[in-house]
Amino acid sequence: MKIAQSLFRGSLVAYTGLFFAFIYIPLVVIAVYSFNSNPVNMMTWTGFTTEWYAQVLGFKTTVSENALYIESTGQLLQAVWNSLVIATSTTLIATVFGTAIAIGLYRFDFLGQRFYRVIMFMPMLMPDIVLGIALLIFFVNSGIHLGLMTIIIGQCTFLISYVFIVVSARLAGMDRTLENASADLGADEWTTFRRVVLPQLLPGIVGGALLAFIISMDDLVITYFIAGVDVTTLPMFIFAMLRRGIKPEINAIAVMMLTFSFVVASLGLYLRSRQK
Amino acid sequence: MSIAIRRRVQLAVLLGPVSLFLAVFFLGPLAIMMVTSFLAPGLYGGVEWTFYPHNFGRILGFADPMFEDFDPVYIAIFIRSVKIAALTVLAALIVCYPAAFCIARLSERWKNFCLFLITLPFFTSLIVRLFVWVLILRQTGLVNEMLLSTGMIARPLDLIYTDGAIILGMVYVFIPFMFMPVYGSVEKLDWTLVRASLDLGAGPIRTFWRIILPLTAPGIVGGAIIVFIPALGNFVVPAILGGAKVMMLGNLIEQQFLAARNWPFGSALAMMVMSVMLLLLLVYVFVSSRRGADAALNR
Amino acid sequence: MQDSIVRLEGASKAFATPEGGSVTALDAIDLQVRRNEFLTLLGPSGCGKTTLLQAISGFVELDGGRILIDGEDMTDRPPYRRPVNTVFQNYALFPHMTVGENTAYALEVAGVAKAKRREQVAAALKMVGLAGMEGRRPRQLSGGQQQRVALARAIIARPKLLLLDEPLSALDKNLRQAMQIELKTLQHELGISFIFVTHDQQEALTMSDRVAVLSGGRIQQLDTPRAIYDHPVNSFVATFIGASNLFDGRIDGDRLMTGDGTEIRHRRAPSTASGAATALIRPEQFFLAGEGEPFPTLDVDLEAIVFVGSTFELFGRTSAGKKVIAEIPAGRRSLIGDIERTRRARLAYDPAAVHLIHACAEA
Ligand SMILES: Nc1ncnc2c1ncn2[C@@H]1O[C@H](COP(=O)(O)OP(=O)(O)O)[C@@H](O)[C@H]1O
Ligand SMILES: [Mg+2]
Repeated sequence: MKIAQSLFRGSLVAYTGLFFAFIYIPLVVIAVYSFNSNPVNMMTWTGFTTEWYAQVLGFKTTVSENALYIESTGQLLQAVWNSLVIATSTTLIATVFGTAIAIGLYRFDFLGQRFYRVIMFMPMLMPDIVLGIALLIFFVNSGIHLGLMTIIIGQCTFLISYVFIVVSARLAGMDRTLENASADLGADEWTTFRRVVLPQLLPGIVGGALLAFIISMDDLVITYFIAGVDVTTLPMFIFAMLRRGIKPEINAIAVMMLTFSFVVASLGLYLRSRQK
Repeated sequence: MSIAIRRRVQLAVLLGPVSLFLAVFFLGPLAIMMVTSFLAPGLYGGVEWTFYPHNFGRILGFADPMFEDFDPVYIAIFIRSVKIAALTVLAALIVCYPAAFCIARLSERWKNFCLFLITLPFFTSLIVRLFVWVLILRQTGLVNEMLLSTGMIARPLDLIYTDGAIILGMVYVFIPFMFMPVYGSVEKLDWTLVRASLDLGAGPIRTFWRIILPLTAPGIVGGAIIVFIPALGNFVVPAILGGAKVMMLGNLIEQQFLAARNWPFGSALAMMVMSVMLLLLLVYVFVSSRRGADAALNR
Repeated sequence: MQDSIVRLEGASKAFATPEGGSVTALDAIDLQVRRNEFLTLLGPSGCGKTTLLQAISGFVELDGGRILIDGEDMTDRPPYRRPVNTVFQNYALFPHMTVGENTAYALEVAGVAKAKRREQVAAALKMVGLAGMEGRRPRQLSGGQQQRVALARAIIARPKLLLLDEPLSALDKNLRQAMQIELKTLQHELGISFIFVTHDQQEALTMSDRVAVLSGGRIQQLDTPRAIYDHPVNSFVATFIGASNLFDGRIDGDRLMTGDGTEIRHRRAPSTASGAATALIRPEQFFLAGEGEPFPTLDVDLEAIVFVGSTFELFGRTSAGKKVIAEIPAGRRSLIGDIERTRRARLAYDPAAVHLIHACAEA
């Protein structure tokens, strides 16, 4: 019995080890192979090089002109810039709107409140493609020119939900008697909100904003349908490259993106754990 | 009296603009899509304003005999998408469930660290995470290169552009979606109940089926639903790992919109995806409210 | 100058239940709290104590009636404009503020200058025995210390009235008793009225100047602790406070005859010569009858004899089957030995100690 039990424990631990290996080994593999100098067969190691990175960043490299697959660093940078502009705008809008709904539903009791809450989950659960084409039909029918504007509006529809849910969770964990205590000590509603509710809510709002930013930066499907012909975002850029064929430069871009988001996410989660 | 009015004004300020925004840009588009799915496709793209139920007919078997035959390929794609999504759910569950038990029993520090590791990939680019699998699975990918160089196989295996590759890719990107709800249930599991069951003479296997599984079922059901929904209409994963060979609902819809320009038919397909989602949510709300768990929603 | 600091006139409140009915939390309550008084609201859970307190602090809007504080009508004033502060049951300390900031909060929102604030915070914290703790966070404090911060925070602005909603219920027993004494002392020092809510009768009896016993949204009795214990106005109060033996019957001169034939002697001059009434005998008023006992007696068959340290508790039944509980000082072991053997006891009581509750006093 004892042996069987420790055997079971052991295999459970081993399984969990495999679980993490499954998640991380692929990421490590491409990180390593992004330094592989083999331009044709990316998974056959022929030597170490940083050439692909240099190329992505627009430096002159030794690779012959016709081996260059990346259209231009300028296009890539434009896509990054577009993504940043979109993510910043949507994060601002979605954070304000999502927080407003969360507070409204928390502070007030009104008819249909439950229904409203359920509705707020819908944009998040709606399959990307459904929302994407619905927005496409809507924008085309209403004659709105597809571009940055439509992307921002379209992303906001579901990002509001994410912010709402994160902020609501924070509100739900909040002790309502604290507001009573504040009023009891002579603070009017606005002071109570400013001094008691908001400071406690802040980690939730920041968390929701961070989440919205990351999801916006990463959104492909919805953006893909409503971007029109003029605007390309970073995920769309990579998607287009992938569809044309796998090139070592994509690998370098991928690793840079992974590193960037790992650093940002780690920082965010670290700050949040400190705030608790 | 004046307090009541003031609260009303506050409420209107808080909810008014955003409600309007969502009504126009979320509910509005869905409504228009719904209408479009019942309109006839125009000859050169566009729509004709006549009631035309045959878009659904093309999928379900009552196509317009005038110019479109019922082609069972669409219902086959639908069924295959459901099958792939279901297998994805199952595989994700098998990957996550045992690990959840292991992690739930760690010390607080390690627990948080493990949860951090699991959520971290969620914050990185989806497309990059899928691209990784292309490098691993394709003909000249890591797996084939390794197998070839060790001489275990003579010619590359067909790993990419298969149903299996799609499922693998979806499991990989949806792990946090499955893990978090499952883990939530597993961590809440009261182990004294398990001990009580063993004490009352039930063996480990019986205890698993009768105690552990039912008590963690809410998390499993929750995880299954939030994995199934995005898996069903997924279009990125099949586009990258399924190649041209494997068609799923997502690709079919994309094709109708961006290539065939048959918007009504594409809308009808999207409506099907949406109805499956709504159906699942209804089932979930029904089941969980019977358990009295809807308190969580109502807080 | 009025002699009452708070006056409730016909305060009423009903809540809608989820099932569609309604519960009466306050049933036309009239109450006056005197200046400098320690008044306790005592009652079972759900009797309306918190509702009454929140009506005074302004968190519950009354359906009917008025509330006056120091002669001013407060009924329609929001909580933040009432000269009343509360010590909340779970303390409700602001987690994102230090002890000093928590304590200073009432002064801060009232616009008191910073230097003055610091001075008063130091004084208030000193008063509750937390001098020098300004920089700590609430979660770095023990339960007892948090309690003290909540107290300091509530008294710093010198409210006319301090409300305390079961403030000690989260503390362990020793700490609770220490805090009981401290609260009482503090109230004397501050010279303001306290309304203290508890469901612990011992706490109510030891701390209060007067106790209001609540049940079903009504004040059943409002009196000094001794009067409440010795002369409860109805059998609810009698049973809720202390253990009691109640005998229902009809008064016949100086005796009360119960339906099952038991006879209880008393000395009270009944307002009506005869009529329905209930006789109350507290367990400690019984003693074991000696030979030729001059006092009236009651024979009981004993079901259990429980040693509780300073006393023995006897649980028995009269010949008619009525349950009786008696408390005998544990000093007289020999007597206990006798009754332990025979399982019978003859209980004597002083008719002067028997309290009569008249049926008309019952609601
Ligand atoms: N906000 C409320 N909504 C509905 N019913 C309430 C509310 N507050 C109190 N009640 C009801 O009013 C009654 C009195 O409650 P309360 O004053 O909290 O009792 P106590 O503090 O004496 O335990 C109870 O029956 C309670 O269920
Ligand atoms: Mg209470």
